Amino acid sequence: MSTIIQAQQLSKSFGRHQVLHSLNFSLEAGEPIALIGPNGAGKTTLFSILCGFLKQDHGNIEIFGQKPGSEGLSGRVSALPQDAMLDPNFSIGTQLTFYGQLQGMNKATAIAETRRVLALVDLADYISQKATVLSHGMRKRVAIAQALLGQPELVLLDEPTAGLDPVNALQVRQIIANLTSEATFMISSHNIFELERLCGTVLYLEHGKLVQQRSVQQGAVGYLSLQLENADAALVLNVLRQLPGVSSVENAQKNEFAIHYDRELAPDLDITLIGVLRAQGWQYRSLTQGRTLEQQLFAVANG
Amino acid sequence: MMSATASSFPKFCRNTWLITRFELFRLFGSPRGWFALAAFAVIWFLILRYPIFEASSALQQADTQAMLSRVFGMIGMYKLMAWPLPELIVYWLISLVLLPLAVVITSADQTSSDRSRGTLRFLTLRTSRDTIFFGRFLGQWLVQGLLIVISLVATLGLAVWRQHSLSLPALEAALIMALNLVIVLAPFTALMALCSVLVRSSKLAVCLAIVGGGVLVGLISWAGWYFPDVLRLLQYMPGAQVPALLSNQGWSTFKEVTLPLAQTVVLLALGRIALQGKSL
Repeated sequence: MSTIIQAQQLSKSFGRHQVLHSLNFSLEAGEPIALIGPNGAGKTTLFSILCGFLKQDHGNIEIFGQKPGSEGLSGRVSALPQDAMLDPNFSIGTQLTFYGQLQGMNKATAIAETRRVLALVDLADYISQKATVLSHGMRKRVAIAQALLGQPELVLLDEPTAGLDPVNALQVRQIIANLTSEATFMISSHNIFELERLCGTVLYLEHGKLVQQRSVQQGAVGYLSLQLENADAALVLNVLRQLPGVSSVENAQKNEFAIHYDRELAPDLDITLIGVLRAQGWQYRSLTQGRTLEQQLFAVANG
Repeated sequence: MMSATASSFPKFCRNTWLITRFELFRLFGSPRGWFALAAFAVIWFLILRYPIFEASSALQQADTQAMLSRVFGMIGMYKLMAWPLPELIVYWLISLVLLPLAVVITSADQTSSDRSRGTLRFLTLRTSRDTIFFGRFLGQWLVQGLLIVISLVATLGLAVWRQHSLSLPALEAALIMALNLVIVLAPFTALMALCSVLVRSSKLAVCLAIVGGGVLVGLISWAGWYFPDVLRLLQYMPGAQVPALLSNQGWSTFKEVTLPLAQTVVLLALGRIALQGKSL
């Protein structure tokens, strides 16, 4: 795998308010990358620097070995900037075709490419419409479509599902999931749950500081996340802790249990666990390999 | 930010031309542009029908011509009456006064609303800020050139309708006027390119240009009270060469092109630097 983004001592302030504090990270091509953090954590500032919209005050950042905004990145890096809108005076087809031409395509190719990306976001019928007649969700999908023009190697999506209803948000996640083999996606959100299924690497920002960078699944220790229907938590904890290979069991939330185990000692713990559930007569809602992203981040944030 | 290096010069030119062409499309290919064109047509119909038509009729009278020659001569415009057609004389006067003001308003939105809307972000992901800045400026300039040609053709049409013929000197004079007007408007267009970068709406850009220009003239005049040499700076303000243009005629008017072209280069350089440093 090759390094796509490398940041060293990256800092940015607006007036006296420091938004990014000496960020150091390196990201590889491949699995989608999540940039997670609460509102105001500095996600959009970091995205704006990556896109070349803002300049950092200190430090260095490179994408494919070049500075953000460099001419050599044109066509290789694309983005969905947060809250950016198309020109209301022209149809979306006209504008996307124009963008394609600016990326170096001839007009015929740019038109074909516009049709392709609009079809990807299920808006092919709206090619002649202006952005003003589209709903918020549709505009967001058009903005995602423009990010897919050509064959970008890195697609930066800043809050791609913000403000979308669940159906549209699901559709956007499906679009990203379908395209992960063609480009590396970097997606920012404050919603951990929507990124957990998509992303292989997580950057967690808090108050402008990089709290952690990690792969979603890693390490020799195994984790299972179990959600039960109504159950006696004390009894469940007692039974689960008796299972061979289980090192600890936590009851993080009501009816939710995080099981830590040794993969070598209990490679088939999930199958064993289902047997136990059946024997005890416990109904379960979900059994997931690995900790949820929330559990991982929460565990690290709490030391 | 992207910058135009020698190796990317063809791409710089290509994208600058694409953006320039899109500005033409904005005028001739969008309902908003058609509306602007309709307004332009109505305004020029009124100018042609009343000031130009009525004044050119009066200017055909020998005694009126003699009287106006004396009047214009007294204010240094003694060559004004030497232009070949009365219609062109009136057109020349009106255009030199009105078009710079019109350009301040019509060229005010070169980048400001795109920046506040975020559309500029979509563009800068694909092309350099320089191509956007210079492409928009060239687009505006080209549009002005086209509109000047259209209005001059209409003025010549009015003359043909009146006298049923058109002389070669009249066509030559129209060409000289068109070229001169395009050059006169260049620094005003560049000024609005700069103002458009500095603020986030076209209205603010117009206000900045007018108030900024007024404050600058006021400061120079105030400083000139104490240091008279400072008043020479007024000769370098955009449009400062217009009185000299009115006192020349024919190809000799091109003696005055250096100042507006130099102003254009300086204002564009300032605008470029401002846009390179702007957060989008």
